[in-house]
Amino acid sequence: MWRWLVIAAILVSCTGYLIYSATGSSAEYYETIAQLQAHPPNREVRVLGVVQNDIHTAAAGGQVLFSASQGGRALKIAYSGQLPEIFKPGAQVVVDGRPGPGGVFQAQSLQTKCPSKFSSAPPPTSGS
Amino acid sequence: MFQAELGAGILLAALVLCVVSILISFSAGHREDALLAPIGRRAFCAMAVMIVAAALVLEWALVGHDFEIAYVTEHTDRSLPLALTMAALYGGQEGSLLYWVLGVAVIGSVSLAAAARLGVKLTAYATGFLALVCLFYLIMLVFVASPFSLLATVPPDGLGLNPVLRDGGMLIHPPFMLAGFSFFAIPFSFAMAALLAGRNDVAWIAHTRRVALLGWGLQGVGLTLGMWWAYHVLGWGGYWGWDPVENVALMPWLVTTAYIHSAQIQERRGQLRAWTIFLVIVAFLLSIFGTYIVRSGIVTSVHSFAVSPLGPWFYGFLIVCVVTSAVLLAWRARSLGSPPLESAVSREGAFVAQNVIVMGITAAIFWGTVLPLVSGMFGTPLVVGPSYYERVGAPLFVLLLALLAVGPLLPWRRAGRVWLRALRWPLLAAALSLALLVLFGARSPGALVVLPLLAAALTTSALELARGGRAVQRAPGPWAGAAVRAARRNRRRYGASLAHIGIVVAIAGIAASHFWQTQTQVTLRPGQGFTVAGYHLAYQGLSSQVVGDHSVKTAHLTLGDEQLGPALASYPGLGAQALPRVAIRSTPIADLYLVLVSSRGQSVTITAFVNPLVTWIWAGVGLMILGVIFGNLGGAGPEPVAEPRALRRPAVARS
Repeated sequence: MWRWLVIAAILVSCTGYLIYSATGSSAEYYETIAQLQAHPPNREVRVLGVVQNDIHTAAAGGQVLFSASQGGRALKIAYSGQLPEIFKPGAQVVVDGRPGPGGVFQAQSLQTKCPSKFSSAPPPTSGS
Repeated sequence: MFQAELGAGILLAALVLCVVSILISFSAGHREDALLAPIGRRAFCAMAVMIVAAALVLEWALVGHDFEIAYVTEHTDRSLPLALTMAALYGGQEGSLLYWVLGVAVIGSVSLAAAARLGVKLTAYATGFLALVCLFYLIMLVFVASPFSLLATVPPDGLGLNPVLRDGGMLIHPPFMLAGFSFFAIPFSFAMAALLAGRNDVAWIAHTRRVALLGWGLQGVGLTLGMWWAYHVLGWGGYWGWDPVENVALMPWLVTTAYIHSAQIQERRGQLRAWTIFLVIVAFLLSIFGTYIVRSGIVTSVHSFAVSPLGPWFYGFLIVCVVTSAVLLAWRARSLGSPPLESAVSREGAFVAQNVIVMGITAAIFWGTVLPLVSGMFGTPLVVGPSYYERVGAPLFVLLLALLAVGPLLPWRRAGRVWLRALRWPLLAAALSLALLVLFGARSPGALVVLPLLAAALTTSALELARGGRAVQRAPGPWAGAAVRAARRNRRRYGASLAHIGIVVAIAGIAASHFWQTQTQVTLRPGQGFTVAGYHLAYQGLSSQVVGDHSVKTAHLTLGDEQLGPALASYPGLGAQALPRVAIRSTPIADLYLVLVSSRGQSVTITAFVNPLVTWIWAGVGLMILGVIFGNLGGAGPEPVAEPRALRRPAVARS
């Protein structure tokens, strides 16, 4: 009996350690724009916001500059990569990245959330 | 119209019958009253009939475009094809609750009707617990989220269905998924009844195994259809995103997979009784947890389901279920003691290892799903993405594969030296495929570990099948008859081998599409072409046409003589929502997957993926489910040898 308990304890602690280490290396904070601006983090975070009416697309590099707002605060976001088709003013976006020079948030990945009722929204068209 | 009143009245009648069934059944079980127990069961069946009637009334209202009913207005409109209008029965919040309780009630009635030989007490308690589960849903349907609520003013037309859902996938994915979810309630109720009645035999496990397997099969099909649908419709080149909604659907299925294996030990050797009951209970609790996560919107997900007032109700129900089952299990744990396993290196040991690994994967997924909630209580929420699941999942899946190569070759009880000899073929297969991979220049460590293990696991499963084949050759008479007899006699073993081959095929598909996916994005003018992973594609031009309430732009590409037309549909009525229509050219080797991202004039931007072996995933899952069904659902043949072992034991236990 004891032998089995020891084996079980070893297995459980291995799995526990695996989960713990993977969490440590890939978890990121899901911050509000207010939190982000109050304490600019120096690691990658995730932010949710509503796209504002100021989308600028740089012709050459394919970089997009826009603002997203949440709780009355706006955040400048720069993103280069493929944009989901439903990306437009009013869409809810979830971006992963970190603050860059000039307070512009450098997004590594961008997902749109579908605002419609009952449905699965189109998933990330840009992989992170 | 009177459908609303009729439907609501029928649901109320079902609720009353449900309460009657609970009261009578628990009292009959307590007094072991053989006259009262069938009355409780009949009340349950009558409730099931009422629920079926309510579903038919709702279907009638949907098909008749009875827009006075809020549910009909919110989920359909006049332009929706008939099949999708009918599918709205389970497409919305209230309707899916009705469909769920319908599943529990109907399959529960069938299961109870066949349960007479389990004894009065157990059957009566099982009826009571099943009715309790239904009670929760009926209270929801009558008081909180009625599908028959009326609108103050009758609109001329409904709001219609989201374009993402206007697809054949909508007709098949949700009903399988929801039915699979609802079926977990049956083994759970029997397990609770067995605990309450103080029964520690395996009769109820044998009785509910088919329902559990049916639920497992339905959910497996549902998950796969969901992956297939996401792959074919959503246009991001993948099929699984580790989203909370996907995770909560996967967890009960994984736990049931563990249960299928531990039930083998329990039936054959009488070991691990408490653990098996624990798995049955956890599978059900996870299905309720999943519903809670999905309905409450408490975890952010790219799937945005209607955030509804149902969240707290499901939370309460989940707490009640957790507490009740924990108390019952703790109370009876002592009487569930079973003989210890003799040796770790044995078939039993392999089953236990499988259980531990699968539960480890489940725990990791659970942690990743609830992490935002848990960390949110202490400050800024933390989230994990696919990289977390890949980091945790990869080593555990590799262990599972290794086990798949070794486990089926181990003998029951205790393995001697002989099993080392049995391992030579899988080892040889692994070494050979490793050498071939290195020779052909594969350097990715993941591929170098996974593919040889796949070869070993495949060899083991094939050896299992071949062993039966040799017995057939030796048997006298025509070989076809002998093969059928052998298959019947060893139904479970062949079923298991087939299911294991299915897993190997599916994992090969998952691994190949993960390691060797190629992706490129190009912007083209007519006449230009591009090459992706050896496919030469030429762009001919763009055409657009208006179809009903939306317009479709199609890019015409050619691959040799073949035409491929990825398209973009836009729906002006829904805020110009645009949806890609993916063009996929499937072969057993690789899928060429084309998405039209955007267009400007005649110039188009296209993302092209080459996904190797994706079709193997669908085929593998199909094989796996066929194997499990073949191994377990038969029985009425002339030589039903696989079953009786389990069915006879209770007679012994009772005497």
